[in-house]
Amino acid sequence: MTGMTRRELITGAAAAAGAVAVLPGPARAQTTQKRELIVAQGGDIAFFDPHMSTSSNDIRVSFNLYDNLTSRHPDGKLYPGLATEWKLTAPTTWTFKLRPGVKFHNGDPFSSSDVKASIERTYDPAAKTRVSTVFSTIERIEAPDPGTVVFHTKKPDPLLPARLAFYGGQIVPEKYLKSVGPDTFNGKPVGTGPIRFVSWTKDDKAVLEANPDYWGGRIDVDRLVMRAIPETAPRVASLLKGEVDAITQLAPDHGDRVNANPTTRMIGALYAGLYVLAVNSNVKPLDNPLVKQALSLGIDREIIVKELWRGRGIVPNSMIAKGDNHFDASLPPLKYDPREARERLKKAGYKGEEIVIETTVGYTANDKAMSEAIQAMWRDVGVNAKVEQLEYSVRAQKLRDKSFKGLWWSDPTSTLSDPDGMFWRLLGPGGPQDYWRHARFDQLGDAARFSVDEKFRAQAYKEMTQIFLEHFPWVPVIQPYEDYGIQRYVEWTPNPNQQFEIRRFNFRFRRA
Amino acid sequence: MRDVALYAGRRVLRAGVALWLVSTVVFVVMRLSGDPVPLLLPPDAPRSEIFRVRAELGLDRPLPVQYVTFLGNVARGDFGRSIHFKTPAMTVVLDYLPATIELGLTAFVVAVLVAVPIGVVSAAHRNSPLDHAAMAVALVGQSAPTFFLGILFILLVSLKAGLLPTGGRGDWHYLVLPALTLSVFAMAYVARLTRSAVLEILRTDYVRTARAKGLSETLVVAKHTLKNAAVPIVTITGLQFGALLGGAVVTETVFAWPGMGRLAIQSIYNRDYPVVQCVVFISAALFVVINFAVDMLYGVLDPRIRAR
Repeated sequence: MTGMTRRELITGAAAAAGAVAVLPGPARAQTTQKRELIVAQGGDIAFFDPHMSTSSNDIRVSFNLYDNLTSRHPDGKLYPGLATEWKLTAPTTWTFKLRPGVKFHNGDPFSSSDVKASIERTYDPAAKTRVSTVFSTIERIEAPDPGTVVFHTKKPDPLLPARLAFYGGQIVPEKYLKSVGPDTFNGKPVGTGPIRFVSWTKDDKAVLEANPDYWGGRIDVDRLVMRAIPETAPRVASLLKGEVDAITQLAPDHGDRVNANPTTRMIGALYAGLYVLAVNSNVKPLDNPLVKQALSLGIDREIIVKELWRGRGIVPNSMIAKGDNHFDASLPPLKYDPREARERLKKAGYKGEEIVIETTVGYTANDKAMSEAIQAMWRDVGVNAKVEQLEYSVRAQKLRDKSFKGLWWSDPTSTLSDPDGMFWRLLGPGGPQDYWRHARFDQLGDAARFSVDEKFRAQAYKEMTQIFLEHFPWVPVIQPYEDYGIQRYVEWTPNPNQQFEIRRFNFRFRRA
Repeated sequence: MRDVALYAGRRVLRAGVALWLVSTVVFVVMRLSGDPVPLLLPPDAPRSEIFRVRAELGLDRPLPVQYVTFLGNVARGDFGRSIHFKTPAMTVVLDYLPATIELGLTAFVVAVLVAVPIGVVSAAHRNSPLDHAAMAVALVGQSAPTFFLGILFILLVSLKAGLLPTGGRGDWHYLVLPALTLSVFAMAYVARLTRSAVLEILRTDYVRTARAKGLSETLVVAKHTLKNAAVPIVTITGLQFGALLGGAVVTETVFAWPGMGRLAIQSIYNRDYPVVQCVVFISAALFVVINFAVDMLYGVLDPRIRAR
């Protein structure tokens, strides 16, 4: 200190303070030199073979190992993937032009015969895939030249390009798969995607590396490691400590901690689907539309969103999820009106019959807590509501036998960003949640499925919404966010459907 | 020598019966708990698909037929193919076994190395502040749920102090917290039991004689007490070892440790019969082997048992 004047001391201190102000501690953590992306998800990968699983833990990887012909971006629109363009060349014929010069990770060139073999494999009984129903509209596939694929559908199918973007539509290498067989293929997967396989330690981690020749541009990291951390609290801790760069399935009540930490933040995408109480409308008194209207009016959804979801969700306005085709933004959110609910119960002649919610614990987020909240709300309007707890496998069994006592939780995913792949897939005649039929509703749903006229489809879904809001085959409750925790140096826009795609256009590390 | 052979033979027979009973119970319980097929297929899968998969897995055959086939295959070490992983169940389980043994063995060694000296010292200094403090800590250790302890360690040691990783499997750094968490219960239990076993021996006549002839207290405890107190201590630590190998589900889940416990839970959720059966069988077999080793150790420690 000797030899330093008072003035020098003051300017020195000011300069030091200024330096701190420019570069506060956390700001240094907002950039990184890392070349490796580590992601922790809630469960382990079971299959790298994309046609063997639809589980979210698997598709987070398989949508990066493989490409589809079409690609659904975070903005919800369809973009070219392995196909550069596609056209409806006849009412039942879709023609796809393929991207030239694409190679699989093992060097094999990609061509139309891979597409034909991949899609045919999904519904080939001998291949025993878990996506055998995705392409049930296809009659046959032709590969007239290496750069063209022609799909012939049984009836007009306006949504084929959308179907090809989701699970089942990943393109696998025909030659390699044939030569090594499905078991080796699953253990040493080969695709055309932005990452390629390196190694897998079961229930611990999968190591993957950037595909340097990716047609969409090499991604911003050299390696991707997917780790399995089943419990939420340790998963969040690993993020806060900086061991991982991103975590999936961030529960709403952990969001504040992640945001309060100077180096991490929460990001989310609105779930492509809804959380609904599905209704067994064959059971009395749920066969009475007035009772179901009262049940819907008796739920204070704002409170559920605010208290149980910490604001991480929106109140639905119908059976069509926000972000899907034909979502009607002019409709108001589903109303809470306890007085009107009591009124309609009276009009329905409701005499206090028991109404049962069968809930799982944690099958969908907050299922039990929401059931209990709704039970209390319904009791307030005079509904004799009861909550019963189910084990997952019992729920699966009841789904198959259609033996639910009243209502149960369902989280219908919109697989095609369109009402057809959402409520109509489930509530339509013969669908897995077929408990209620309405002649006009069925007629419109069927016509919309096989129409390539979007104006007509819009009109049909509008009318179906009106019928839905009178009969409530589902009681929609919330459209939640799918939240992730990430380090602040990660710049990434998530997809709304758990695909977790890492591409050049939606992901990069902020570097110093 | 004939005694020992007879003794060992009887134990082996008993072990076999135990394994047969365990496999039968698992077989029955798994089949009572529901059908795995609806969980394997998307919810909109047609009925024909469900029947196809059920036939493919052999679940359409009558239960007694399935049971006889099952027993025959188990005898040959074949537990069938995992429904979920589509590979032989045995291979799946053996992949997870090393992680479980690594964690269980470390926890066991830690528990015994800490607990036995504490128990002996507590007993030797009965009712001293040291004894009271040690037993109070042991009581807390025995009562604290593993889940709570694990999260607490992660928050304090990993996150606040920044010392060790929060989870996963790697070099020894990754092993410390889960092994510690897993060992706490066994540690507390073994410490308390060691203390009472040693106390009991310290009250016997021959110890009084040893003291009367002027031996130092250290020698009394080390030479005359410990070997005699060993039988109950070995029994308890043996049982605890079995429990550590089979009961690490919570620890493995909290620390994302890729062991058999987590595999078991996942397979139960997936109704993956073959894997669950194989995990339970292997766990039971480990338990039986440890018990057998403990029984044999008795014989070494206490000649009177061999004669019985």
